[in-house]
Amino acid sequence: MPRSKANNNSKKLKGIDFKKIRRKVGRKLPPPKNTTDTEIKSKAIVLPEQSLAAEKAGLAVNKKGLTLKELLQQTSHHNPKVRRDALIGIKDLFTRYPAEQKLHKYAAVEKLRERIGDDDKVVRKSLYDLFKVVILPCCKEDNQELIVSLLMPYIFNAMTHLVVDVRMMAFDFLDLILEFYPPSFSPSYAEKIFQNYEDILVRNQYYLQDKGKLKDALAGLVRCLSLLPWNKEETDLHNKDATGQRVLHAFEVDVSMSSNGFSCIIKNLKDLVPVLINSFLEFIPLVHSMESLEGKSFGCMISILHSIYLIVRSIAYGTDKDSESPSSQGGPDAAVWDVNISSAFLKKLFPRFPLNPVDHLSEKDCDRLFDLNMIVAKIFFELNEWTSLPPNLLETFLEFFENALLGKFCRATQSGKAVWEECLVQLLSFIPKFLSRGASSWTSRLLQAFTQTFRESKPGSLLKLACVSAIEDMLTPIESMLSIETSNPENLELQDALLAWIRELPLLLIQLGDKHPTCSQVVLRLQLRIGQCSLLNSSLVCMYDNTQYSLLDFYCTCQGGQICYGPFLRLPRESQELSLCSLYYFSYLDLPILKSIACCCLSADLDPYVLFRIIEVLHSAYRDGHIKIADYLSVFITLVLRFKVSPEIGSAGFKSDPLCQTLKSMTTVLCSYMAQMGDNSLVLQIVEKVIIDQIPQKPSLDNSCSLLRMLVTVDSKPTRLSEQSIIILGQHLSEYLMDAVQCIPEDGDEQGTPSIQLSTRHYYLLPCFFLFDRCHKLMNLVLKRMGSAITESSLSPISDKCTQHTRNCLDRVNAVTSVLFLMHKDAKLQPIMSLFKEDIDNVIHKVFSLKTSGRISTTIEERHEIQCAFEQLKILTG
Amino acid sequence: MEVVLASSSVDGGIGCWDLHTGAEQLRYKSCTSPSHGLISVGARFIASSQLRDDPAATGYVLYWSWSKPQVEVKSFPAEQIKPIAANHPGTYIAGGAPSGDIYLWEVETGRLLKKWRAHFRAVSCLVFSEDDSLLVSGSEDGSVRVWSLFMIFDDLRCQQASNLYEYSFSEHTLTVTDVVIGNGGCNAIIVSASNDRTCKVWSLSRGMLLRNIVFPSIINCIALDPAEHVFYAGSEDGKIFIAALNTESITTNNYGMHIIGSFSNHSNQVTCLAYGTSENLLITGSEDGMVRVWNARTRNIVRMFKHAKGPVNNILVVRRENDSSNHISSNVQASSRKQGSNLPPPLEKYANSIDDDLDMKTMISLGGGRRSVDPSYLSSHVISNYIKELQHQGSAAASEMEMEKLKHDYQKSVQMANQLKKMNENLHQFCVKELLDGGQARTLDEDQN
Repeated sequence: MPRSKANNNSKKLKGIDFKKIRRKVGRKLPPPKNTTDTEIKSKAIVLPEQSLAAEKAGLAVNKKGLTLKELLQQTSHHNPKVRRDALIGIKDLFTRYPAEQKLHKYAAVEKLRERIGDDDKVVRKSLYDLFKVVILPCCKEDNQELIVSLLMPYIFNAMTHLVVDVRMMAFDFLDLILEFYPPSFSPSYAEKIFQNYEDILVRNQYYLQDKGKLKDALAGLVRCLSLLPWNKEETDLHNKDATGQRVLHAFEVDVSMSSNGFSCIIKNLKDLVPVLINSFLEFIPLVHSMESLEGKSFGCMISILHSIYLIVRSIAYGTDKDSESPSSQGGPDAAVWDVNISSAFLKKLFPRFPLNPVDHLSEKDCDRLFDLNMIVAKIFFELNEWTSLPPNLLETFLEFFENALLGKFCRATQSGKAVWEECLVQLLSFIPKFLSRGASSWTSRLLQAFTQTFRESKPGSLLKLACVSAIEDMLTPIESMLSIETSNPENLELQDALLAWIRELPLLLIQLGDKHPTCSQVVLRLQLRIGQCSLLNSSLVCMYDNTQYSLLDFYCTCQGGQICYGPFLRLPRESQELSLCSLYYFSYLDLPILKSIACCCLSADLDPYVLFRIIEVLHSAYRDGHIKIADYLSVFITLVLRFKVSPEIGSAGFKSDPLCQTLKSMTTVLCSYMAQMGDNSLVLQIVEKVIIDQIPQKPSLDNSCSLLRMLVTVDSKPTRLSEQSIIILGQHLSEYLMDAVQCIPEDGDEQGTPSIQLSTRHYYLLPCFFLFDRCHKLMNLVLKRMGSAITESSLSPISDKCTQHTRNCLDRVNAVTSVLFLMHKDAKLQPIMSLFKEDIDNVIHKVFSLKTSGRISTTIEERHEIQCAFEQLKILTG
Repeated sequence: MEVVLASSSVDGGIGCWDLHTGAEQLRYKSCTSPSHGLISVGARFIASSQLRDDPAATGYVLYWSWSKPQVEVKSFPAEQIKPIAANHPGTYIAGGAPSGDIYLWEVETGRLLKKWRAHFRAVSCLVFSEDDSLLVSGSEDGSVRVWSLFMIFDDLRCQQASNLYEYSFSEHTLTVTDVVIGNGGCNAIIVSASNDRTCKVWSLSRGMLLRNIVFPSIINCIALDPAEHVFYAGSEDGKIFIAALNTESITTNNYGMHIIGSFSNHSNQVTCLAYGTSENLLITGSEDGMVRVWNARTRNIVRMFKHAKGPVNNILVVRRENDSSNHISSNVQASSRKQGSNLPPPLEKYANSIDDDLDMKTMISLGGGRRSVDPSYLSSHVISNYIKELQHQGSAAASEMEMEKLKHDYQKSVQMANQLKKMNENLHQFCVKELLDGGQARTLDEDQN
């Protein structure tokens, strides 16, 4: 009010002194001359709307319309419900937009890992599901180690949380990580992991009333112990075989580094053993007092024993490397811990063995108790390997082992038997180790029980496979004991056990058949190993040699003309190879086994590769004196004579028939082996009569050719064949020669090129040409025989089928002409043919008389054929 | 001069040819050797084990000197010896027996140092490592074993250890036909061939299988490329395969994995292989009795030698030095003078008794290199023999010792005589001086009178 009054006063004073000039600025003042017209005219103006909701366009949102950034922020909210909803929202977002997950997975993991130690149980559960279902499967493709390094510190932090539930959940997260990326179990993490497990078990009495949680924690401990390098030797060995295909001289450092890095955690593992034993002892009263064993309690006990077993293995194999190191600190340190560990086992765990069942327990609970006893036995035997334990305890465990082998704990139920077999498989590997430590009074009893288990177990089962593997491991100590050659009664017992096993192997092979190829391969490898070392003493040699009679059914048997093929033909090639190599190590191969093998070779199902391997192995065995020469040559002749080629006589068959090619290759191999035998005249004496007797039986063309080739290989120039052989060959070679030229098409045939046909035809005629070159008398006989063939064909009585008769006669004439023509073209035979000009003239005369005679009615074409043959023969004499 | 030696299982002697000129040298007589039964002991003489028809007969090992075609030394070991090997200086000979035992002899004395059970079946091949500290043996039972000579002669460790061998490779399923060892000392590779159509490459440092190569036929012999890029494998079907060592797996090939080529021998079985390093020549022996020299790079035959009617089963490439011919001639004179042989005595049949063993200790020392040097030492056995002979006056060696002593005494006597002459001259001069001084004294007396 005072300001307005002052203004009014000043206005009044101005009005009085000066006259107010009234001007209207906007309307009357004219625009300047340089004014630019800025007026805009339009029908409408649209302004964009500005708001927060519109910014989310184009971004990935979940079904509630929230972005990833907002959801990650909400995971830190103070309200557990909001946090849980945020995790569910992130799961929904990543499910809808996988590309979004790949882009932001590291940022998401960095934010989400804080929730591992969350107070709320539902939040932790949601986070576990999120990692298990969505995040970790997506990260499998690339850098897994980075994700693990992001998560591990928070998991370790949660393991030391005050709240017990958070601790247990942290172990679940650890299991998830190890399942996702097993190499994350590195030496730096292993120490902390085992420390945390020890803490959780020590506090078991105060916090873990729920046995389900304890069971889960113990299962995780077993999994961690399984990841130690010495507990996964078999897997590593398998991997090393694959790496063997690399460059040989490549530099490798990592193999030794990884196994050395884990040695520092041996101390942590040793601290775990008393804690685990105490936990196990708390469950012992349950066995005696309760009506039945709970499933969870039983699971806890199983996991505790498994953990102790794996720790014992870790101490054994880890300490071995420490003892090899030159540092002197390892020695007394290991000794101190050994005392502690041994006292814990001896005073607390082993005296309770075996856990005897109470009468009122059910069969299922008895099986569970048996399972527990088996694992304790495993721990004892593993511990017995590297430290000496009291003999009375050893006797208790060995008695249990013997009873287990004899099946005294076996129940009538199928599930009980399965449990028994499964447990026994794991214990069988300790028999070879026990055997190699030295003989004791328990050796014979254990071996007898083992032999009975080996006999009675079912072929193809895991127990049988484990028995065979155990025998293979036992071979080395038994061999070293038997090689001393003393008449020790303990050595005799070892020898008796070994002989019993050898006797069982062929029967096992026949029972296995081809349905269990893995087990058959293990048995065959064991048989090969026994064969390789069977020269230790004479009874072992006799037993091994006698197994060949049991092996007849494995290959092939002939019963009254009926051929029964054994499983050898249907096994994989590796198994067949092992079986053939076993044949080499028999000190003699008798005729029945050779006959059986020869029958196998003649089977159409046999692979040609295996056929040639059989021949090679038999040749090696013969060269080392394991087969008599007569038996060996009998195999050759049987293979060549009985090998079946395609019955088609058409020209197409000769070009592409694989059986024909196999027979040719086999003949080449057999002939080269016969040439290597040394004394050809001796071989000829053995072979001559058999081959000469078979040729009149008219085998097929290919088989005859192979027989003649074998005969030619061992013959010499001049021939060593007997007179009788020459006469028989003279009578039948003409038939063979005419059949050969008839079955193979002419040069001018359109079906093939002339050179191939000529070489094919020449292949069949060449053995005869060699025989003619070496024995002129044989050639004379054959030429006369061919002339007689023409005469006989023309003189045969005329039947109703006049046309067929004429055709046969013409075929014979053409065949004889072709044979003589080919003989004339051979360089070696041409001079010899001039010696027998009279015989050739005789043939020409017979053809001429056939042409001019009216015995057969001929057409113009047939008469023309005879004329061509006649003219060809005349050229030969010209 | 680099020579090729070839022997056979039939009595065709030992053929010897100059590798560069192809000229045939002496043919050494009376040799029927098994596979891996021909060696050159330190390039000083040739040794070979012999095949016997009777399985129960004793062993038979012969020595030939380079200059004579006749057998000079005959040895009769306790049982048949088939493969033999000598270390690079030629101080030890190892032999493998059909029973699976390995014998080790000292060359200079012929003493049997050690015999041990090595395999369950016959030993088929033997080879020393590059530094001669390891012996690798292959057997009919399919195993390849590596023996450390330090372990063999360390009695305490022998008793403590469960196994004598360092490694036992038992992946082969049939007889091991050949074993070769590469360079590299304890990091070397071992390549073994077998009748099971495979060659396997083993690591000596890690004791594991590095590579398994499957061939189309049985492999009888192997030869390593000196740079160890490839090895050559001679097969029963007459081919020589080239297998890669220093590459990753090759799958696009006609023969199989790791096999990069082959050259052919016209269907005659290849029985032995050797590599001549001076000109990169590969020498093969085959079933038809021929020895072929191939250029390993161009895979062509450079030269052929005719050996015998029977199959060649041993090929050896030995570098004989030019000095050795002068050495041999001087040895001939020495031997004619001594009326004895310059070759070492025969190999012993059995080990010595315990009393003798107390005085003797075998020392295993690493060889200085591949260049052979004649050993200048005398073993304690030789020295004790000299002591015994000196006690008996009648032996030739004792006479020689006495002769040397007499020569020594003669030299001393000559020196004494010279000294006496000098003393006599000194005395003579002294007397002359004395007489002259007396004459002057008289003149002074006359002047006084």
